[in-house]
Amino acid sequence: MADLFLRSGRGLVTVMAVFWLVFLVAPIVVTLASSFTSSTYLTFPPPGWSVRWYLSAFESEWVWSTFWNSVVIAVVSTAIAVALGIAAARVLARHRFYGRGAFEYAVLSPLIIPGVVVGFALLNVSVLIETQDAGLLNLIIGHTMVTTPFTLRSVWSSMAGNDISLEEAAQSLGATRWSAFWLIVFPLIVPGIVAGAIIAFTFSFNDVTISAFLSDREARTLPVELMSHIEYLPDPTPAAVSSLMIVITLAFFLLVERTVGLGVFADR
Amino acid sequence: MKAGRFPASLATPVLLAFAVFIVAPCVMLLVKGLEPTAETGEWPDFTNVLGVFDSKVGQQALNRTIRISLIVTAVCMLAGYPVALFIARCAPRWRGLLLAVVIFPFLISAVVRAFGWTVLLGDSGLANKGLIALGLIERPIALVQNEIGIIVGETHLLMPYMILSLLAVLQRIDPNLRHAAESLGASPVSVFWRIVIPLTLPGLLTGTLLVFSLAMTAFATPFLLGGGRTPILTTLLYDYAFTLFDWRLAAAIGIVLLILGILFVTIHRFVSSRGMRSYG
Repeated sequence: MADLFLRSGRGLVTVMAVFWLVFLVAPIVVTLASSFTSSTYLTFPPPGWSVRWYLSAFESEWVWSTFWNSVVIAVVSTAIAVALGIAAARVLARHRFYGRGAFEYAVLSPLIIPGVVVGFALLNVSVLIETQDAGLLNLIIGHTMVTTPFTLRSVWSSMAGNDISLEEAAQSLGATRWSAFWLIVFPLIVPGIVAGAIIAFTFSFNDVTISAFLSDREARTLPVELMSHIEYLPDPTPAAVSSLMIVITLAFFLLVERTVGLGVFADR
Repeated sequence: MKAGRFPASLATPVLLAFAVFIVAPCVMLLVKGLEPTAETGEWPDFTNVLGVFDSKVGQQALNRTIRISLIVTAVCMLAGYPVALFIARCAPRWRGLLLAVVIFPFLISAVVRAFGWTVLLGDSGLANKGLIALGLIERPIALVQNEIGIIVGETHLLMPYMILSLLAVLQRIDPNLRHAAESLGASPVSVFWRIVIPLTLPGLLTGTLLVFSLAMTAFATPFLLGGGRTPILTTLLYDYAFTLFDWRLAAAIGIVLLILGILFVTIHRFVSSRGMRSYG
């Protein structure tokens, strides 16, 4: 009796788990499959196969211009977020001082503040100081602020296991503080930096919320432009663009999986 | 560890960046949202913030936000638990793949995922075809551009958070506990209810708070799957900012969202610090 109960219970868990795992991948699979449709409207499964919407995507001016905007924004904001993250992680891992808690709270605050609030608040500032035309700069600032907590946490956790006596030993043997950092600490935190940078880049490249508030007519990111195309033009070109974004994200995902492991996403 | 001295050279650039680009903008938002509506009014004027809840649109949006967030949280809980259990006890060589299935979607842009759902849930989409084939409905029903679309999209958006929170605690359960309980005569069902469930409560709580607060503040998913007639707080803020150009009201909604965000983190910190104490 108990055995039957156990087996039917396990069976039920398996069935439910498989259903929801399929639910998780369904929209991704459907997007990929429907991007290869031969028809001019979107259905799943597609009536026939073709790559015409990929050709249409590659020929679209909006795809290229916003793609390059997104790449520039993601690269620059990730670079700054890594620098800020290393500095903040060093402060939190090595120093005890009055107000350390407040420092930690401030640096992690973008995780607490809703994205629409960050976006709208930054828009308010840019209007006040009349820099609302500097779209790319505003976007870079916004993305940097919300991705710094990711780089900070990743670098911080890679510093946590380090022994401070290594650095002290280097310094007592004549290394300057700077060279002790570069030669001893930096090599040890490289995995944390790489993981943090990949997470920050992926977040920035895919972000819509903050970008929707800070984009203007000239400086738009690919996801924001894609959003307006999905809203108004029900043609399969957005499906091809979406699929390309999935492939780019997959490349970064595999990079994380191969280099530092998926644990960076799991321990939060 | 050196105590006391403020690491000025390292901390100052970081603090400066956050003061200028996070703290100051939020303070500005507060100032703007509390601006007096009448010429004679004094600062702070809470009319706008309270007005968010007084107007019909605002009240509807607030109710809808809370309703959707509650449903999404409940679904994530009921769906996430079996998935986490399944992953925790499947063979290690499958675990990596299943974990990838959970984590990969949550790296993909919310726009792309919403797009996938519009195709799946549309009138000629797979969901409607399936329901018709099962004989549950006769003709396609509207599954997007309404609350159903938002609920499905947000469930998809947030379920990975619930699964990962649960997995974190499930993997820490000592298998000896189960063996001990079974050797003392406990049935698998009572092992589940009296050992597994209580030990995973902290993870369930973390996941619930995380999912609920993220559901309250999600933007792109409700924007694309909800359509224009079902605004929630975040999409209403966007509407006020870019369609109606009433930035004072937009700022007022922003204040409400900001307070909600801080509230949930405070609850989370309080709960998790108590949880630590009772388990450690």
